[in-house]
Amino acid sequence: MDLTLLLQRLFDAVFNGGIYASLALALVIIYRATGRFNFAQGEMATFAAFVSFLLLTGPRPFLRGGSVVGLIPGVPWPIPLAVLGAVLFGIVSGAATERILIRRLERKPDIASVNVTIGLLLTLNALTAELWGTGGRFFPAVFPAGPDDHLLIGGARLRFTSIGVWLTLLILVLLLVLLMQRTKPGLAFRAMSTNRASAELHGINIGRTLAAGWALAAGIGALAATLSANSVLLEPSMMLRVLIFSLAAATLGGLDSPKGAVVGGMIVALSQTLVPAYVPFVGNELSLLPAVIMMLLVLLIRPAGLFGTEQVERV
Amino acid sequence: MSDTILNVSDLHASYGPLSVLRGLNFEVNEGQVVVILGANGAGKTTTLRSICQMCDTEGSITLRGTDISSKGTADIIRLGVGHVPQGRGTFAELSVIDNLLIGSYTRSDDGVQADIDRWFEMFPILAERRDQLAGSLSGGEQQMLAVARALMSRPELLLLDEPSLGLAPIIVEQLFETLQRLNKEDGLTMLLVEQNANLALSMADHGYVIESGLIALEGSAQALMTDPAVQAAYLGA
Ligand SMILES: Nc1ncnc2c1ncn2[C@@H]1O[C@H](COP(=O)(O)OP(=O)(O)OP(=O)(O)O)[C@@H](O)[C@H]1O
Ligand SMILES: [Mg+2]
Repeated sequence: MDLTLLLQRLFDAVFNGGIYASLALALVIIYRATGRFNFAQGEMATFAAFVSFLLLTGPRPFLRGGSVVGLIPGVPWPIPLAVLGAVLFGIVSGAATERILIRRLERKPDIASVNVTIGLLLTLNALTAELWGTGGRFFPAVFPAGPDDHLLIGGARLRFTSIGVWLTLLILVLLLVLLMQRTKPGLAFRAMSTNRASAELHGINIGRTLAAGWALAAGIGALAATLSANSVLLEPSMMLRVLIFSLAAATLGGLDSPKGAVVGGMIVALSQTLVPAYVPFVGNELSLLPAVIMMLLVLLIRPAGLFGTEQVERV
Repeated sequence: MSDTILNVSDLHASYGPLSVLRGLNFEVNEGQVVVILGANGAGKTTTLRSICQMCDTEGSITLRGTDISSKGTADIIRLGVGHVPQGRGTFAELSVIDNLLIGSYTRSDDGVQADIDRWFEMFPILAERRDQLAGSLSGGEQQMLAVARALMSRPELLLLDEPSLGLAPIIVEQLFETLQRLNKEDGLTMLLVEQNANLALSMADHGYVIESGLIALEGSAQALMTDPAVQAAYLGA
């Protein structure tokens, strides 16, 4: 076996792993808050990435929304600010989505919310295509991504963008853990996700806490989309595959565990790179297969996932 | 004549199409312990849930003269109501100490730690288990936690829904001693739903008996204790 090649394949998985982990983190937050998946998480993120694109380019002929964005001071913005803009847009639109749409489904059966978030996925996808077309657009790299921007380890290249994505992810997880474990809103969120009726009986405003959860998740999703837009090109369906991989990652890690989302994201990305490379009958086109199979196995063998909470409540 | 903390008049409550309370009238005065008795399914839990707007209600509910019947649950709690629900309301996946901190969620003063210490002293078993997941506590321990958690908000009015449920007799005695002390020393007002009528009436000032959604009987605790109907139905005499 060519060790350098193996190392290179591992390094290649790092970037995707970070992106899957980030979106999985967003899915996990919503799952903890509501016990449901937000299937539109990826498309919401894509939309935010397009907003970021507008902020980067400013008013241009044939670019819808450009003139609106042009009213914002300083536009066109440099890339770090534009990423921040996408995150802010994600936060605001995430909270708005919860308030306007999701809250109405609170007391409806699970299937209603599944249908609505899938509906939202399709609608946002179509809206994005309608507004900005289906062609891929160049989106600048957030971290240095030139031909020489990498570390050489054992003959294999670990790109700065991969390192950047993981640093971002680790800081994100750290902040998230601090937020959840050390702050009052975090305590409210954990209380709500453990026992909603009881949380309300302690004065916790459920609506506000839910909206905050959606805001947080959408902000993280927006970050994931802007970080990956350079490598996949910005286009309406860019997060669709990512969503599938992230669903697998979240399931694998345990639907309610941030740590699980991160580890799950990496495992899924590794399986996507390594399995087609070393298992003869799985071609590159089937790179989704190992992730889906792992997800299935986890659901059958250990539904709580690698790091998820198993029920401990006594009656 | 002491001030009325809670006044409920012509309270109707329902779960969807099922109407459970059909016009209750009662009140709780400052510093009192008021007990609600009734058979299973009479509507005792629903009465407490109505006060916190956890089911559909009609009629008027006032807390210190303010109408709370159109407020949200969280807002009512913030007005000084503590609620120990039937079923304990444990945050099973969180530690005992986090459970207590949730109890103090509405507070912003710096006396929280002192209160935690106080309830730990009152319920030493909780102190021993402070970092354990609350879901792994025994039923009785969870009941103590529920009481301590509700007290963490320093309520003016504490609603207790069958706090003795599932507790060993000795623990029940301790718990009621504690509650009585809170009432006498801290002047905490309580509205208590209890199956253990003897114990409840012995610490109560006033009582109501609910039968199928209506007040069937009311009176001072002493009067109820000697009432033949109450004795037959709830005191096993
Ligand atoms: N969430 C609910 N949805 C529908 N019906 C309910 C609900 N909770 C209670 N009920 C009904 O309301 C009636 C009164 O219930 P409630 O819980 O108030 O009785 P209770 O007096 O507290 O009884 P117990 O002593 O058994 O606790 C019962 O007939 C019950 O079936
Ligand atoms: Mg009851």
